[in-house]
Amino acid sequence: MLALEFPPLSHIVNWPGFAGDGTLWEINKVVLIYAFAVLFTILLFTLGNKKRLVPTGAQNLAEMAVEFVEDGIVMETMGKEGIKYTPYLLSLFFFIFFTNIFEVIPVIQMPASARIALPMFLALLSYVIYHGAGFKSHGFGYIKHALVPPGVPIALLVLVIPIEFISKFLVQPFSHTVRLFANLLAGHILLVTFAVLTSGLMVGKWYAIFSPLPLLGVIFFTAFEVLVSFLQAYVFTLLTGVYINAAQSHEH
Amino acid sequence: MRRTRLLMAAAALVLLGFLGFARPAAAQESKTKLSHPAEECIKEIEAANSIDVDCQKAPNPLLPQANEILWGVVGFGVVFGFLAWKGLPGIKAGMNARTERIQGDLDAAEAQRTEAGTVLAEYQAQLAEARTESARIIEEARQAADEVRSTLQAKAESDIAELRAKAAADIEAAKTQAVADLRGEVANLAIAAAEQVVGHSLDRDTNVALVESFIDSVGATS
Repeated sequence: MLALEFPPLSHIVNWPGFAGDGTLWEINKVVLIYAFAVLFTILLFTLGNKKRLVPTGAQNLAEMAVEFVEDGIVMETMGKEGIKYTPYLLSLFFFIFFTNIFEVIPVIQMPASARIALPMFLALLSYVIYHGAGFKSHGFGYIKHALVPPGVPIALLVLVIPIEFISKFLVQPFSHTVRLFANLLAGHILLVTFAVLTSGLMVGKWYAIFSPLPLLGVIFFTAFEVLVSFLQAYVFTLLTGVYINAAQSHEH
Repeated sequence: MRRTRLLMAAAALVLLGFLGFARPAAAQESKTKLSHPAEECIKEIEAANSIDVDCQKAPNPLLPQANEILWGVVGFGVVFGFLAWKGLPGIKAGMNARTERIQGDLDAAEAQRTEAGTVLAEYQAQLAEARTESARIIEEARQAADEVRSTLQAKAESDIAELRAKAAADIEAAKTQAVADLRGEVANLAIAAAEQVVGHSLDRDTNVALVESFIDSVGATS
């Protein structure tokens, strides 16, 4: 009988510290992934800063990334008013993407966003920024702007205002966090599942002939997780832009 | 180039360091030297005489770990600081410089095109002027040639007429002379013949006058 020992969740997302174990300064695998994300971002933008007339290599990649965030996210969600948020949204995109992509990098194979700390911190930071932008744009009228949708009959406001408050002030940061965290955690668990299944089948028994099937699953989902890593970074950044625009917009 | 090599070397060192340290969570159990929290946990198990203690429970994945938040703040802060200070402005400056350069080239090309258009228009105007001038010169030459031709033709016709007149006069003179000569000869022959007939010489002047009047009468009737 095939006996698979699937590791508990804590074993696939919790990592022992390399230094300062148990302290606030503990450095574990997730922290090293942060360090790589920082290093790769700095490398990309340092090597890409060439100013050649015809961009190639890192310069091409960096310029494409900047145009992607600026034209595809900032201009699409906020227009020219949002240009000042480009550094923040660019940082969000790259930090999330690089911490996600380690899910498929051999040996490391762990997305830092599968731990709730990073998505929660970035969602809360974005929460502060977009509500801050709303207060900056509307003053205290922002409360009304956020809670009272236009065209709603006064009688319905008793219902609508609590719903809007729960939606925009309580659920939004939660959904922003969970969307990134849950997608990456689910992808990580999926890859571990297929890897464990492949490993479990690769024994000297007749059912070893089935081992290529989960192996194909590992290969397919590894490619799929590359897409998920990019897509989740894009979605998180795009939603931040949408939230900022909704908060500071004067259109009602 | 040196900066690139240094950055690549730094990345390689960090990667090597990481690979040297990285190990799965399960490897925690095979450590020969226990970490401080592990030792604390063993003490807790021993004190409780049970494995059902808090430190044995897996942390809730929905609760963030303080160290990950702290390092996340630091990491994101570094990325944001670098991109806002150097990364994004550097790339944007390069892109803007390229845009300006291309725009400048396009403007210069447009100016050159306009200038070329002006030069072409000038050239075409000059060409048209030259054509007009050449046509005028040709026309003038043609007119002059016609004039010369007419003059020469008139002169030739005049010369011909003059020559004809002169020739006619000469012919007339020659004819008159010939007639006169003939008349004289005929008179002489007639006198000689008459002398032969009558046997004596006639008064020459009378005979001549007689012959002449005869000839005139003959000429008048012919």
